[in-house]
Amino acid sequence: MNARIGQGFGAVGAPVVAVWRHGWAIYSVFAQVVWAIVTGAIRWREVVRQAYLIGNRSLFFITVTLGFLGLISVYQVASQIQRILPDFTMMGPAFIQLMWREFAPTITGLMVATRVGSGIAAEIGSMVVTEQVDALRMCNADPVRYLIVPRTVASAVMLVMLTIYAVFVATLAGMALADVVFNVDPSTFVSFRLVTTADVALGLAKALSYGFWIPIVAGQAGLSATGGSAGVGWATTRAVVSSSFAVILLDFIISGFGYVVLNL
Amino acid sequence: MRSLVTRPLATVGQAWLALAATLGGATILLGRILRSLVPPRFDRDETWRQLYGVGVKSAGIVVVTALFVGAIMVIQSAFYVRRTGATSLLGYGVGFTVFAEIGPILIGLMFSGRVGANNTAELGTMVVTEQVDALRTLAIDPIRYLVVPRFIAMIVMMLMLMALGDVFAVIGATLTADALIGIDPQVLIDSLLESHLLDEYLLGLGKALCFGVSISVLSCWYGLGVRGGATGVGRAVNNSVVANAAAIFFIDFVMGWLFPVGL
Repeated sequence: MNARIGQGFGAVGAPVVAVWRHGWAIYSVFAQVVWAIVTGAIRWREVVRQAYLIGNRSLFFITVTLGFLGLISVYQVASQIQRILPDFTMMGPAFIQLMWREFAPTITGLMVATRVGSGIAAEIGSMVVTEQVDALRMCNADPVRYLIVPRTVASAVMLVMLTIYAVFVATLAGMALADVVFNVDPSTFVSFRLVTTADVALGLAKALSYGFWIPIVAGQAGLSATGGSAGVGWATTRAVVSSSFAVILLDFIISGFGYVVLNL
Repeated sequence: MRSLVTRPLATVGQAWLALAATLGGATILLGRILRSLVPPRFDRDETWRQLYGVGVKSAGIVVVTALFVGAIMVIQSAFYVRRTGATSLLGYGVGFTVFAEIGPILIGLMFSGRVGANNTAELGTMVVTEQVDALRTLAIDPIRYLVVPRFIAMIVMMLMLMALGDVFAVIGATLTADALIGIDPQVLIDSLLESHLLDEYLLGLGKALCFGVSISVLSCWYGLGVRGGATGVGRAVNNSVVANAAAIFFIDFVMGWLFPVGL
């Protein structure tokens, strides 16, 4: 009987403890990154290299995914509008506003979490299992400072850039579809009259915080890789799930904060 | 001068060749999977194990994701409700985005991250440690023993997790509407029921079915094609999740185009 109760507590407690440990490990990397940035220990040459790898190399991927998102959102919304009230003047402005507020930063963040997060975990994870990280430690080079800080700075900057690009791509795709399928004039569709500074600021704040957290979460997953190729695969999987979830959680926090406190 | 012309051309050409190789390889793999389903000859025990591994182990992350998706979509819709005062927008916004559009995309991306990446890593590790070759030596077809059980498990479980996720998304939406936004949950439920709920729900499930097919085939294809040790496994997982994400958005577009809801 006692063993049963013990098992029951174990079944509930084990995931809680696991999540707590995972969160604590991520927080510890976060603190180290913040400290490194505050004390100015940033290797700018590496930041530029990572910015190229994170930003420029994601352009095609972002173009494809956000392009399809723009096409289908406009198609779905326009077919509803066509049925109820055939007045398309508000569609474009509302679409662009919603892109800024929510979808461009969040979907771009998820794509970067998928592509860059798994890449960082795979790279750092294989450095760990081939003992390159231990070699760094032997040379008195802190792995967080040396590997994660440049990626964090680069990804925070590049995610803001990619978000702006994502709005551009989605708007272009939506405009083309509205023009071809629903005969909405591009000059009617592309209008920024609903977009306020607050919308743009909210979207860019989201992008900045996603960009900051993705390499931390993914890098921590990579650093905790153990054992050969199975360990690297497992670390990469964990990086994708954790960093995607981090994006969704941050989106909830920032959107909720924006709605309730700042009345955005 | 010559390199200025040829280098971009080479980049574009390589990208196309890689895309063609992936599409072709995945299609052939899908053909071989379907071939071994008629007549059904695959490993039953492994299928049960995969159904458990894929479904039960990723239920947690899908439930949590769905709760937040519902919450975020309520916040975004409430923004427009506050401006226009039309509460019917709430049901339209939440119902359409959660059930038909953003819900399937986000749950599909999470599923691809949790299950697809894991699957690529697992198969890739088996390839680099020569376990797949060992299976072939024992005259066991890796497609029937490894790939088909995963194919079945992912399709079945993606559908069931999508249905589960829809329930929790509505729970997340009502909780947020009540606690954060100050909208009566009854108003939300009423306006949800007025929207094209069944169409949206079925479209979401249809998308989930297609995501299950694409995630299983692509992740198995990348897993079986791993070359070169731990680095190769990491790179294969990376490629697999990228390809799956692109496939999810493409399928989402095609399905939305073919089956527009509310018409």
